[in-house]
Amino acid sequence: MAVVRPDYDYAPRGRKDAARHREKVKEAIRKNLPDIIGEEAIITRKEKQIVKVPIRGLKSYHFIHGKTKGVGGGFGSGESKKGKVIGQRPKEQGKGGKPGNEPGVDYLESEIELEELVQMMLDDLGLPNLKQKEVRETVIPKGWTFNSIEKTGIKPRLDKKRSIIEAIKRREILIGRLMNETGRSREECEAVLDAEGGNLNRALELLRGGEPVKEKSDFPFITLDSSDLRFRTVKEDVEYRSNAVVIAMMDVSGSMDSMKKYLARSFYFWLLSFLKTIYKHVEIRFIAHTTEAKLVDEHHFFHKGESGGTFCYSAYDLAIELIDTEYPTERWNVYPFHFSDGEDWEAERTVASLKKMMERGIACFGYGEIQTDYSSSVLMHAFRDNLPLLSIGKDDLVYLEGRWADSPFLGVVIRRKEDLYPALRVFLHSDKNKAG
Amino acid sequence: MKGPDPERLKEADKLIQEIARDFGLDFMPQEFDIVPAQKMLEITAYRLPVNFSHWSFGRDYEMERTKYDHGFAVPYEVVFNSDPCRAYIMETNPFPIQVMVMAHVYAHNDFMKNNRYFQYSRRDMITSASEAASRFRRYEEDYGLDDVEKLIDAGMALQWHLEPLDKSYQETEEEARERLYGWKKEPAGGGEFDDLLPENRQITREEKMELRKKTPPEPTVDILGYIIEHSPKRFREWERDVLGVIKQQAQYFIPYRRTKIMNEGWATFWHEKIMQRLFNEKFLNPEEHGFYNLYNSRVKSHNPRMINPYQLGSAIFKNIEDRWNKGRFGPEYEGCEVAWQKEKWDAGLMKGREKIFQVRRTYMDWFFLDEFLNKEIIDELNLYVYREEDKGLYYEEIVDEVDWEKVKKALVRSLMHWGVPRILVVDGNYQNNMQLYLVHVFEGLPLHDEYCRKTMEYVYYLWGRPVYLETREFHDGGTRKVLYIADENGVSFHR
Repeated sequence: MAVVRPDYDYAPRGRKDAARHREKVKEAIRKNLPDIIGEEAIITRKEKQIVKVPIRGLKSYHFIHGKTKGVGGGFGSGESKKGKVIGQRPKEQGKGGKPGNEPGVDYLESEIELEELVQMMLDDLGLPNLKQKEVRETVIPKGWTFNSIEKTGIKPRLDKKRSIIEAIKRREILIGRLMNETGRSREECEAVLDAEGGNLNRALELLRGGEPVKEKSDFPFITLDSSDLRFRTVKEDVEYRSNAVVIAMMDVSGSMDSMKKYLARSFYFWLLSFLKTIYKHVEIRFIAHTTEAKLVDEHHFFHKGESGGTFCYSAYDLAIELIDTEYPTERWNVYPFHFSDGEDWEAERTVASLKKMMERGIACFGYGEIQTDYSSSVLMHAFRDNLPLLSIGKDDLVYLEGRWADSPFLGVVIRRKEDLYPALRVFLHSDKNKAG
Repeated sequence: MKGPDPERLKEADKLIQEIARDFGLDFMPQEFDIVPAQKMLEITAYRLPVNFSHWSFGRDYEMERTKYDHGFAVPYEVVFNSDPCRAYIMETNPFPIQVMVMAHVYAHNDFMKNNRYFQYSRRDMITSASEAASRFRRYEEDYGLDDVEKLIDAGMALQWHLEPLDKSYQETEEEARERLYGWKKEPAGGGEFDDLLPENRQITREEKMELRKKTPPEPTVDILGYIIEHSPKRFREWERDVLGVIKQQAQYFIPYRRTKIMNEGWATFWHEKIMQRLFNEKFLNPEEHGFYNLYNSRVKSHNPRMINPYQLGSAIFKNIEDRWNKGRFGPEYEGCEVAWQKEKWDAGLMKGREKIFQVRRTYMDWFFLDEFLNKEIIDELNLYVYREEDKGLYYEEIVDEVDWEKVKKALVRSLMHWGVPRILVVDGNYQNNMQLYLVHVFEGLPLHDEYCRKTMEYVYYLWGRPVYLETREFHDGGTRKVLYIADENGVSFHR
């Protein structure tokens, strides 16, 4: 049998080229971030689960035939009847159906950790290495605290206990010396020393003179000398915190359809992901409102709709209450965000409430207006007319930004899924600048 | 797992050769290279034992690797059409499987030596690709990975658009022009059929002028070849080399693509026969034979989403042999309308063996299925067409067609032109402005839009001037003409 020895180099190249492919996949992801962040799979993840985003292997493009009907298909064999379901194929990122009969080649699924994806987005947004802990900390004064013990000080800070301890120590030393030098018993030395008010020389004389010793009192007589005195020093006490809370508010009245909620949901998801990279501790609370506002859980927030009109101030007032009771701005970086379709029956009162909220010293107020062709946009107009705002246009996106530091306002209009990414970019940039 | 005993393998090899010759198989000298899994996966992904670097090969390697690691798809063998014939087999396969693979390889060897579509391939491709790999590595150093990669991307996108080498004689462009001018060549020694040749038509001066300017002189499917020769970008030497190698390799693999079902079917048909003989002659013990049977049934198992060429091909060859043994062909048989007579038809012709050897010499998949795939086979294997339906979060795959005539029609159509849409270069100087004009020959299916757009970007990258592609889309129960244009602004679509 002609078995040949290899006449080529065995050096493995598969792994090297596979690495190159992965590199290209990442590059493709980076280019398609706007698409990917809108993906349902990322947003509807279960809490505390490791999230992996399925990414398709890169396709090798060439001319191929399309389909006459359906999105894809092919041939197969095995027991079957017309209409029998033979399986499912998960959807790919982006658009485009399965082409022709190409066997599997184009459908390699590789995975990327969510964390890596977030980091890539940060890189792309020009905020590199935020994760390498440029943690944003808040310093909270807690009044005064005692620091150390000194021998001098003012009377109110006298540490009585420590001073007495010093005095007892001194007395013990003196008694020891008396016993050594006179050879009398401990009881005698104690009695004489106490009787003489702690005076060592007098006690020595008396004991050496062989004088009989008076009855010892039941309690030791402690004398305080100035050298025994101890005083406390104080310093200012502070606490370091790295807390942020997102107060998510949303209009859940009938006009907010599931697509609008989906956009809001995407935005909140990414907002939280980013804040988690800057703060050690991030919380989110949900306020759903129609004409009335109430605190709800996440599921309720995104999935339950209610009928009724729209008073946005109701949500803002509840947010203020929440800030005052649970998230004081000295301890928390508060990010109230509000999504609506622009409808508001009492816009003036809403503006007033917002001003009140800003007075609390919040980190940033975000307003996202999800517009469709039929949106009224009452609220955005009200904000623009009543607050000191700058209108800025960038990357096809027009947004409003607070002119002064005491009006940390950011308003964006979102029309489609594609607007999410620029909107996030705007938010992160302004937030970053404020911090830096 | 330790590989099988080499002495016993040698014995198997000798026996297999004897049996194969006895069956009438006619093969080239055979070499086996027994390689570890890692190398085997690379050969599968890179198409050749050593080939140039490209991310797409890396991607395929990773995919093969994953499948292998999870226990799906153990590669058995890769055989190259070289002289001597070279086969790579997997080190870790157990003895009975190794024997099966060797028997399988000898039948492939016979197929490639005798099938007409393999006759014009170069038989030194293994060395040639290995040399190209080192040249490409140098290009990467000299001109940068990105430039080389981009060129390979573009070249590979067009690799299957070429004229297969199944004529011994390839006409040059100049010769085609002369033929079109109507300059009659000297007949080869006044043959007896000269009177059948077309009359020499007088061609006008205007027509000649027109033809002289025309490029290509007549439409050609060889897009990549035409671009290499005529692109206004004027490729440098290394660029011509890269594209040339891609074209050359595609040319080498086209016979494989055109005969996949036949080739695998033929090899399976024969390895089953050879294995049976080895068992009958007591070379394999019952336990080994049982082990082989288990694996063999896996090789031929149903695949719900793909045609299994081992299964389908061997079933067709079996069917042909049986029909020609019993004389179940020709007008007399076809015309028979008495069911029980047809059922029992056996003219005792015993022409089966002869017929299948003739079929393996002259057919390719397209014609093979068109002529020999019948109701019997389709019903036996339960072949069907499935479609995918959008169900929101996923696609559902649903059996769409089981009627044998419709399944056959669709399957045969998918094999036309090795499964590649026919696109012709019609004009390389469109609007007298060095623009490239391509026409898709519409044969019932439109082009896949996403793939078409991306591929047009590659064509534009290679041509450097605007590229047009004329095709058709479904409209109002019929079709209508549409146009893709690729230029510096990207790819646009026009109705």
